[in-house]
Amino acid sequence: MVALDLATLSVRDANAQLRTLGEAGEDVEILNPDARHHIGVGLTAPINVTVQGSAGYFCAGLTDQAQFNVSHNVGWGVGDNMYSGSVVVGGNAGAIPGVAIRGAEIVIKGNMGSRAGQVMKAGTLCCAGNANFMAGYMMYGGTIIILGDSGERVGEDMSSGEIFVAGKVEDLGSDAMLTDLDQKEIEGIHAFLDRYGIKAPKGFSKIINAGKKLRYGTPETPMRSIPFNAFSGDSVYWNPKIQEDIAIKAQSGRYRIRGYGGARPLPHLSDIGFRKDLAGAGTDRDVIEKIHMATEIGGINGARPLKLSMPVMIAPMSYGALSRSTKYAIAMGSAMSGIAENTGEGGMSDAQRDAAGQLIFQCLGGRLGWNIHDMRRADALEIYISQGAKPGLGGQLMAKKVTAELAEIRGIPPGIDLRSPSRHPDILGADDLVIKVEEFREATGYELPVSVKLGAGRIRDDIKIASKDGFDFVELDGMQGSTGAGSAEVIDNVGIPTLPAIIEAIEALEEIGARDKIQLVLMGGLRDGVDAVKGLCLGADAVAFGTSVIIAGGCISCMQCHVGQCVTGIATQDPEHEKRYQPKVEASNIHRFLESVRWQIAAITQALGYDDVRGLNRDDLVALTPEAADITGLPYEPLVGDASVQQVGSHL
Amino acid sequence: MCGIAGVMYRGSDKDFGTGEALIRMLDGCQHRGPDSTGFALYSPEASGRLKLRFFIDPESESDDEVAIDAIRQRLIELGAAIEEEARAGDNYRVTIRYDGDIQKLSYEMEHAAKVISIGTSLEIVKDVGTAHDVDDRYHVNEFHGTHGLGHVRLATESDVKPEASHPFWATGFADIAIVHNGQITNYWKMRRRLEQQDFEFSTDNDSELIAVYLADKLAQGVKLQDALSTSIDDLDGTFSFLVSTGDEIGYAKDRLAAKPMIMYEDDELVAIASEEVSLNRLFPGRALNTREPAPGTYATWSRST
Repeated sequence: MVALDLATLSVRDANAQLRTLGEAGEDVEILNPDARHHIGVGLTAPINVTVQGSAGYFCAGLTDQAQFNVSHNVGWGVGDNMYSGSVVVGGNAGAIPGVAIRGAEIVIKGNMGSRAGQVMKAGTLCCAGNANFMAGYMMYGGTIIILGDSGERVGEDMSSGEIFVAGKVEDLGSDAMLTDLDQKEIEGIHAFLDRYGIKAPKGFSKIINAGKKLRYGTPETPMRSIPFNAFSGDSVYWNPKIQEDIAIKAQSGRYRIRGYGGARPLPHLSDIGFRKDLAGAGTDRDVIEKIHMATEIGGINGARPLKLSMPVMIAPMSYGALSRSTKYAIAMGSAMSGIAENTGEGGMSDAQRDAAGQLIFQCLGGRLGWNIHDMRRADALEIYISQGAKPGLGGQLMAKKVTAELAEIRGIPPGIDLRSPSRHPDILGADDLVIKVEEFREATGYELPVSVKLGAGRIRDDIKIASKDGFDFVELDGMQGSTGAGSAEVIDNVGIPTLPAIIEAIEALEEIGARDKIQLVLMGGLRDGVDAVKGLCLGADAVAFGTSVIIAGGCISCMQCHVGQCVTGIATQDPEHEKRYQPKVEASNIHRFLESVRWQIAAITQALGYDDVRGLNRDDLVALTPEAADITGLPYEPLVGDASVQQVGSHL
Repeated sequence: MCGIAGVMYRGSDKDFGTGEALIRMLDGCQHRGPDSTGFALYSPEASGRLKLRFFIDPESESDDEVAIDAIRQRLIELGAAIEEEARAGDNYRVTIRYDGDIQKLSYEMEHAAKVISIGTSLEIVKDVGTAHDVDDRYHVNEFHGTHGLGHVRLATESDVKPEASHPFWATGFADIAIVHNGQITNYWKMRRRLEQQDFEFSTDNDSELIAVYLADKLAQGVKLQDALSTSIDDLDGTFSFLVSTGDEIGYAKDRLAAKPMIMYEDDELVAIASEEVSLNRLFPGRALNTREPAPGTYATWSRST
């Protein structure tokens, strides 16, 4: 047994030593914890850790195999995302104990705070005292045992799993119901309590999901395909898009779900052009060798940065919305072009990890697929707050897309209609977010960049918060961003377009003197290298492509992503459809598209008079419409030269 | 988005190191708010004299002395007799004798200068920077008294400047201060309602509303605990807040418990904070029997009981 004294050691140093001692199989005693946060975070060795006193937030978070024993209290999120192992808490636990656990046993001898076991997937959370409100909120599986009273709204929106309450069931949550226990279950609970030396009470109530809410009964019917570029706001008032919309709603009687991005015209990067005449761009055959494009993202606070061959990366898209083969192809294509791929929601597949040169691992509120082992093999970590296509909303993956492999990665039962929450359990404000970011850094030894994905909303405030919370970079997503499935009303009408988003973000950072303290990656309907250069001129450090990469990799833009029967094998989990997709062929197509982007960036940068993309700046741009001038503050110069040349150059 | 702290000593003595205690507690939760730090410190003044603090803007083009002279002159015009005055950091601190209506004095002074606090026992010290930065500038550690509140702020919607920092004084009401973590979403509705009753607000910060709301209730003769009780119904949004008066301290917490709060109580003191790590700063190396206030609850403690 080795003692680590937090009166003299920082938690960061103690955790580093703890990991080393864990490797050596040495048990550890933590002295003078004084309720500090992140004790034991990231430990993945089967040792015993005794905490003599109280621990703060995320004690034993993001761990696997270790056995923790805390003599007194713990703060929020004890055992966060724990895989296996155990935590025994002698006193009380704060809010969200056992949040997102994937198999551990957590035992609290005192009372526990609200939302216990939120989004847990497996394992057992046991409280000898009383629970506070919404125990089992949105749990996907596992067992909660409450020996005291349940608190209000127990089992609120649970998808699966069970909750046993020995005391009073104060009030059932939405879509939860009481059911009978059999003798075997009672024996199982008794055996569990025995192991932790807790006296078993006489009887229990059992609470499970009632299955009445949010079931995806009839999938959306595929409708005739209207080309994506037929905007619903076009000059013809009752145009085909409007007719289609009405016809679909006449069948479903509700809002419409569809894939892709907004289908109405909004001010965009195409409304700005270049000040210089770019007629000569693209005539130099060796332009790529002459322009410095290599870009590092994420190293600003000392983490190991992503090394991009050009200021471009792949936008986050999930394995779930997209097929495994598609994610595999994108990973390969991105590696061939020397840029970074992003997991999106829902976890990392081995094929994707192995193929991607650099991979950003994204963490969403449901913590689907999130775990310490994949964090360690990622190249950067990303906290998703929202996305441009549907800011503020969660999602739902229909049952037929929740295959066995996908369910295993996400740690949920296969074949359920999978709700992704819109909020994180442990990020209710900028103050909590600081503590969450620190947890990720602790878990990965401060080596990986941590970014935040923000759908453009209250950008001025949000970007300042991102900077103060210590993120290394922001992925800023405008309203023109796409999604695998969202309500058409939201996709078309909610959010802030990409153009004002980047303008406001840069202004906000300049207001607080933080432009050099965080990097910005712009996305949301960027189509090619021309858009990329405009984004860089407006102040982005890099840009990201989603939709255009999918199109390069075989998407036919039929906008039926949400149906789950994608004919190209991209937006589907049906093996019959997926087998049409040829990952290696599409990876080459994606690679070639990315190389065209590289060439465009180089050619325009050269034509603007620079040999380095870092030279690009606002003064290279003009506004081609009054709206764009108003949004960007750029001079309104629609008549300078040939507008089309000014926008893209004649050879591009 | 913030961290809050409060402490009240129970003994009859009024000479507790409240400044030092709050510095330690706030240093413990500084991660919750790196932008600014503030303290509401209470030390009863038996003589009934009023203590006033004003911001003197260091960025201002005019001379500090000109600004201070203007304050002096306005105080005298309003019938106050100046007894002591001093500079502390960017503050001008003055002790006066004054027998008139304090709300009138407050509003008049508010129109003439940036008032931080007015009270017979309350003094608010707040500025940008950490607890230790503010202590370096204002010597908070030398402050002794009976009770106090503290706050660390991460500005989310309003600016980072001293006057947008907490604690908020209940503009117009002596000796009432609050610290708040969260966001009041029916701010404008409530503010308009209070403004129709001629209350004035000196910032656009939602937290100031809580102070004025409570002060209005207290002025009507409502007990602090009853005012806290109605605040949970009347205020919409997320909040964990602490309030203090000349001899009471209290908390209220919203029904969603979105913002943390934890407390420790023994024979000598009651201490409340956003996180237990702050409470432990008062008792290093000791495992404390703390209690988490339930969602939608409030409580008060009085010096006199």
